Amino acid sequence: MNDPDWEQDDAEFEKNAAAMREVTIPPAAFAAVRQRVLSEMQAKKRRAAWWTWSAVAAAACVAMVCVAYLAPGPERPRALVARKDPPRIEWTARPVAQRVHHKSSGRLLRGRAPVRKTEPLAVVKMLTDDPNVIIIWLVDQKGDSL
Amino acid sequence: MADFRLKAETAGQSSGLLERAKTGDLEAFDQLMRLHEKQVLGTALRLVGNLEDAQDAAQEAFLRLYKSLNRLPDILEIKPWLYRVTVNVCNDMHRARRRRGWEPLSGPDPVSSQPDPELAWVHQERGRLVEMALKTLPEKERAAVVLRDMQGLSTREVAEILGSSEVTVRSQISVARGKLKKFTDRYLRKRI
Repeated sequence: MNDPDWEQDDAEFEKNAAAMREVTIPPAAFAAVRQRVLSEMQAKKRRAAWWTWSAVAAAACVAMVCVAYLAPGPERPRALVARKDPPRIEWTARPVAQRVHHKSSGRLLRGRAPVRKTEPLAVVKMLTDDPNVIIIWLVDQKGDSL
Repeated sequence: MADFRLKAETAGQSSGLLERAKTGDLEAFDQLMRLHEKQVLGTALRLVGNLEDAQDAAQEAFLRLYKSLNRLPDILEIKPWLYRVTVNVCNDMHRARRRRGWEPLSGPDPVSSQPDPELAWVHQERGRLVEMALKTLPEKERAAVVLRDMQGLSTREVAEILGSSEVTVRSQISVARGKLKKFTDRYLRKRI
């Protein structure tokens, strides 16, 4: 490496590198960087704290809602339902067949079958809240609806 | 030659700082930054070529340091770690700038420490010329030459920081010096 060209190049490069090394950065530039970093970190801390408190508040709200929903509360007032008297149903009494006994033998004679009246239908009229709607319920004697 | 890792006594003082900084003590972190600001800002300035971008890069490097404090087991690891991060941040900035296709305006010029104004001017011009020449180098060569020749690290240390072998770093530095020489010669010939 005794080539004078190489040595000259090295010396030249060393001068350039030295010039770059000697360049001093103004102290204000360092201070500015530190200031920027610290303020950014403080902002991050504030943001983190805000998010933490928000998360805590949200969790507390959810917990309160859950407790309110799951805990047995005071008995709810029951809805008052207007009680309507059941419609009176009138049944027509069925005539009992008269028993006729034979005079001498005492055998029961079949009498004339009693005339069976048409079974009356009970009409149950139910009023609803809506005056235009009336439920009419037809029921026979057995209780079957028609 | 600058010491790559912290000296023992400095490390002893700094380990307390590191522990305090890990607990979120901003004052301790401020002290840590003061210990490493010359290294970070100086490297960034040589890599990106202007003070404004160098400040941005240094800020990003320190913020990354703060995020990674808990992953750094030892104060001795901070210096090489910061070099690595600074180089990466500057490379990212170069790539982003290339993608956007614009060159930012240069910030205020760093000043020369020479007391003689004429000599200071010569140094400043020379520094500016090297700065321009450095911009023409590829990322890895620029990082190698800045860390080796301007930050004064050894080839082994540069290799460790850049994640390359020593042979690769030597070759990169040699090629980079050749390119710098060619650039400065051409520039000076044009000016003359």
